[in-house]
Amino acid sequence: MSDVLLDLRQIDKIYNETSRHPVRAVKDLNLSVTQGEIVALLGSSGCGKTSTLRMIAGFETVSSGDILIKGRPVHKLAPAKRNVAMAFEGYSLYPPLTVEENIAFALKSERLAKEEVRKKVAEIAHLLEIEDILDRYPGSISGGQQQRASLARALIRNADLHLLDEPMGQLEPQLRALLRGRLKHFIKERGLTAILVTHDQTEANALADRIAVMEGGALQQFDSPLRLKDRPANLFTGTFIGEPPMNVFPAHAEADGGNLKLNLADGVCLTYPASAFSDELKARLLASDAFVIGVRPHAVKITAGGHPAKVYANQWLGDQTHIAARFAGQTIVSVRHDRAHHAPGETIGIDVAAHDLHIFATDSGRAFSHGGALA
Amino acid sequence: MSRIELKKLVKRFKDTEVLSGIDLDVPEGSTLVLFGPSGAGKTVLLRCIAGAVEQDDGEVLIGEEDVTDVLPEHRGIGMAFQNFALFPHMDAFDNIASPLTACGKTADQIRAGVDTVAKLLKIDHVLSHTPKALSNGQKQRTALARALVSRPKVLLLDDPLRNVDAKLRFEMRLELPRLLADQGATVIYVTQDYREAMALGDRIAVLDGGRIIQNGTPEEIYRRPATINIAKLFGDPTINLLDVVPQSDASGVYATLSDRRIQLDPGLSGNVGRECVLGLRPEALSFTTANDGVPVTIEAETPFNEKAVTLVTTLRKREILVSRPAETPAPTSGTAHITIDPSDAVLFDRQTGIRLDPNGTTHTAEKAA
Repeated sequence: MSDVLLDLRQIDKIYNETSRHPVRAVKDLNLSVTQGEIVALLGSSGCGKTSTLRMIAGFETVSSGDILIKGRPVHKLAPAKRNVAMAFEGYSLYPPLTVEENIAFALKSERLAKEEVRKKVAEIAHLLEIEDILDRYPGSISGGQQQRASLARALIRNADLHLLDEPMGQLEPQLRALLRGRLKHFIKERGLTAILVTHDQTEANALADRIAVMEGGALQQFDSPLRLKDRPANLFTGTFIGEPPMNVFPAHAEADGGNLKLNLADGVCLTYPASAFSDELKARLLASDAFVIGVRPHAVKITAGGHPAKVYANQWLGDQTHIAARFAGQTIVSVRHDRAHHAPGETIGIDVAAHDLHIFATDSGRAFSHGGALA
Repeated sequence: MSRIELKKLVKRFKDTEVLSGIDLDVPEGSTLVLFGPSGAGKTVLLRCIAGAVEQDDGEVLIGEEDVTDVLPEHRGIGMAFQNFALFPHMDAFDNIASPLTACGKTADQIRAGVDTVAKLLKIDHVLSHTPKALSNGQKQRTALARALVSRPKVLLLDDPLRNVDAKLRFEMRLELPRLLADQGATVIYVTQDYREAMALGDRIAVLDGGRIIQNGTPEEIYRRPATINIAKLFGDPTINLLDVVPQSDASGVYATLSDRRIQLDPGLSGNVGRECVLGLRPEALSFTTANDGVPVTIEAETPFNEKAVTLVTTLRKREILVSRPAETPAPTSGTAHITIDPSDAVLFDRQTGIRLDPNGTTHTAEKAA
């Protein structure tokens, strides 16, 4: 495929390889990034996302595997020879240069006219709200301002690939919300290809076309935000992506005439017409002793005729309400976009539609199904 | 018997006044959230109530009794702080048991008390670990368990969920209110997370620069914030703030956006011609297919949890965020129209940042300032 910009092939990263306690930080990672795409590497600390980014940039060697940019193997090249631009979490601005000089420095190799440079710097500074600190020195500005200066310096460059390490980690929430939209617009308008590392799923969802979810050095799933939400490949992704987290319950299936019953703890039994599930899925569910069902809080409906559950918390957060109730021996959380007035102690009816069910294998965690069909 | 009252409380460190006349009344059995930026004076305020710091002026009353001369250990207060303050040489069990041991409970009473609270906080499996072997989240919950175990009438909790990971933090946020209600304690809870503040507080007191800028229910704080700064602290994505100058004619009071009128509460007529800031929550704006809305250009749409947030610009290139439930349809490019429910609009004075009340009454913040 000609439009593949970055190709990671069977990348391994092992720290302390020769010692008695080698640490395998990245395991057999395969990832292809298309020209013009924004990809987020998402995971908690220690998942291997930053190691991966640093290997792409060339600040870390690969233990095995190949990295190709535009079809050209680069994993043995020095960082400067890879034509990638990187914004660092630790900023790394040149202290003796002003913010403006720091940003303009990135354009040096392009030999542009002075006016052209000035114009480009002004444009990106405006975008990132750092116009008023252009003549300041890095030492005299806040962490959030340094971070935006570092981001500006990376984005202004004409490179094959832009790497952004926690680009907005230091910014206050208000600014972050505003810059997310602007940053995405900027990258898309110029057709840049960008990889960002983040532990914040809100940021990944907001910016990325596709998200690579990592855990324990291994890629769990590489998909669009929508598919991660609707078709999580395994229980890890299912419960990691989504706020509040997915509700999960152990269950087993039982055929009952024209219905399929899902038996949960405490005698709770979700009954669906058998036609709501494909034949392969039904056979699979009936053949397994136990599995895990997952349902997103936004898909948990509160209806008069539903399964009884006792409310123990109702928390209104301004733009949404979180309702928690005891259900099938556990907690079930329902999220409403309006203000719902079910008070603690009240018994509500819980309803989950067949098409909102995610079913996972108990042992491997792999997804069996989403809605009524096999995964 | 455990109402907490502060009367004109003042605390200075050398020449700096960190608390400037705090008045606060927390009814028995209720939870007050103390909210504000770092350095606002939240922790000092807790320490004055606990007796760890002595105020320079004013009174602290617990259960109608002035406790200024009561020693900290006799004030009947349970505390948990964000830096844990666990005894390093004791295991989690002994740490949690320490308040019970100190007041001479029997071994059986201690075991029962610790087990109950440890189960509630999901740390019953690590009771034999020393603090060094506990994760930050477990340390935090051990500290919280220690504060709860002796069932004190007053609980001071200083950001107890700060170091807990997102999933557990969410679970704890749901469980805590019931836990606190069961204890029947009067609680002052410090946090910097607005969601936690709204979820846990019967009331929220916003502290800034040593003063309480607003004290209200979560609803009052969210819908009628006393100042622009408070409006910005609550809500994600944050409130849209647009410079406007209200006008009026026969049809009422209005502001202008993209050459269209935004009708304002008639009670705001006293502010015609004043330089103001109009606050509009992203979720209070919606797209309309009718052409009588405010015309905007769609710049970018970003998914935001189960919401979709659209960045739009007005004719004069002012940026506005519009949010909606993800499953609802909306235009994704080009020009569109948005509507605004006037009852969701808040107006602030641009100079002072103070909210302008449609009923014309002066606001608490104005009195405080």
